[in-house]
Amino acid sequence: MAYNKPVPRKGQHHEPFWEGAKQGKLMVPRCNDCGRVHWYPRLICPYCHSMNLRWDEASGEGRLYTYAVQHRAFGGWGEEAPYVTGFIDLAEGDRMMTVLRGVDASKPDEIQIGCKVRVEFEKVDDETYIPFWRVVEE
Amino acid sequence: MPVAHELSRAAAIVGAAESNEIGFTPERGLRITSLQHHIEAIKNVSDYTGIPISDIDGVFSAGWSSELAEHLGLRPSYIDTTSVGGCSFQIHVHHALAAIASGIIDIALVSHGEAGRSYRGGGGRGGGGRGEVSPAELATAAYGTFGAPSQYAHAMVRHMHAYGTTPEDFAHIAVVTRQWATLNPRAVMFSKETDPNGGPITVEMVQNGPMIAWPMTIAHCCMVCDHGGAVIVARPEIAMSLRTNPVWIAGAGESMGHSNMVEMADFTATSAARSSKTAYEMASMGPQDMDMAMIYDSFTITAAITAEMLGLAPRGKGHTLWKEGTAAPGGSLPINTNGGGLSFNHSGMYGMQLLIEAYRQLSQTAEDGVNGIDGKQTDSQTCIVNGTGGTLSTTGTLILEA
Repeated sequence: MAYNKPVPRKGQHHEPFWEGAKQGKLMVPRCNDCGRVHWYPRLICPYCHSMNLRWDEASGEGRLYTYAVQHRAFGGWGEEAPYVTGFIDLAEGDRMMTVLRGVDASKPDEIQIGCKVRVEFEKVDDETYIPFWRVVEE
Repeated sequence: MPVAHELSRAAAIVGAAESNEIGFTPERGLRITSLQHHIEAIKNVSDYTGIPISDIDGVFSAGWSSELAEHLGLRPSYIDTTSVGGCSFQIHVHHALAAIASGIIDIALVSHGEAGRSYRGGGGRGGGGRGEVSPAELATAAYGTFGAPSQYAHAMVRHMHAYGTTPEDFAHIAVVTRQWATLNPRAVMFSKETDPNGGPITVEMVQNGPMIAWPMTIAHCCMVCDHGGAVIVARPEIAMSLRTNPVWIAGAGESMGHSNMVEMADFTATSAARSSKTAYEMASMGPQDMDMAMIYDSFTITAAITAEMLGLAPRGKGHTLWKEGTAAPGGSLPINTNGGGLSFNHSGMYGMQLLIEAYRQLSQTAEDGVNGIDGKQTDSQTCIVNGTGGTLSTTGTLILEA
């Protein structure tokens, strides 16, 4: 079935992210001067204000920071509601949003903040893959 | 150059007014534009204070200032159209205080008009260029959130995790805030007659309502309806010469943590800790000196976290102000005496509603002065007002004094 949910428009300077995603790699910006990873991608390091940035492959591992269950949704997501959204603390630092996989939206009390998650990619088309995070065994 | 504490009481709010019809106006057969809400409120506050519109020399609004000044035929000396969500109006008052204290202007208009329901999405103005892609889109667009409740729910879950709170704890905020709304005839949820879902509610009713974004049912969420409001800020010599009671700006501060929630460091803390610290220091006052509070309650969790940030309750205990009755009618620290964004009126950006109620309480013109309803007038001398904009993003704090 064709992907029927919103897809981020491909902004300037983000080609390495989309190229990595095609290969199942999570690419994140890292500052060459202070060494810190940031997300979302900036034109300047938000920590030390260097413009000397590169893209690095992340481990694809993280921990669940918080979550919620979406009951009111529209378009393609409306067909899936209720579903769980969450924020992921990356092993490399900083945080990503996701729709969380591997959880039961009807039992939100059973979802554990701090649980281990791993990235996976869903295909939109041959050029576009989107990262989502799944709860995995410790 | 004045330092911060010299700004304290350098200007006063000298009047506040609303547009003629607020709330769910379409059901009353009206479809009032945001501009009409602005203009009615401006005319009303001019009539109320006796200050001619032509005397206004500073115009402050969330994105509308150029259009408003043109519509009114004004040639202002100070134009501020800061649009950072619902706290914009607290920030406008902060800026107006500085502009008056520095001698640039004498009389500042702060105006709000937002047909949030009738013309959804038309209230705020400004933003980036068409066709440009914000890099933040890469972090947010794909992930199934729809508007504010879908985001704020994550903060409630994190608070529950960090402090052992429960959705029922936060439901008390909705219940107590509704008690205030039943004292305010202009509140949408005043009674069953004003809205089918109006009148008193219980924790059970809150928790049994339709789920929007777990753990928030619909009564944990503010309304989206229509509102216009305006306040005038003036220098002391003018404030003392008017027929209205001045409410002094004792302290003011603003700050921000992030724009997108993905950049929020701690989901149980906002920049209100910083903006209120600045305001308290300017006022030479602290949380213990506040007689009442007007706290932006876009959601129950917003009010709870903000109360903690303002130092009105310890971290993790903000909800107890409502649960234990402190914030309720007759309590020792009345909060959101108009009925809040939860039950009075919320047009998308609620900061003006906070300002108007704070002015009415401190100037002794709140509803029971008008309508004879017991308990609405709190006889407060001090009020902390805190707006929160975006997704727990930006805050403006005012400390007002009768």
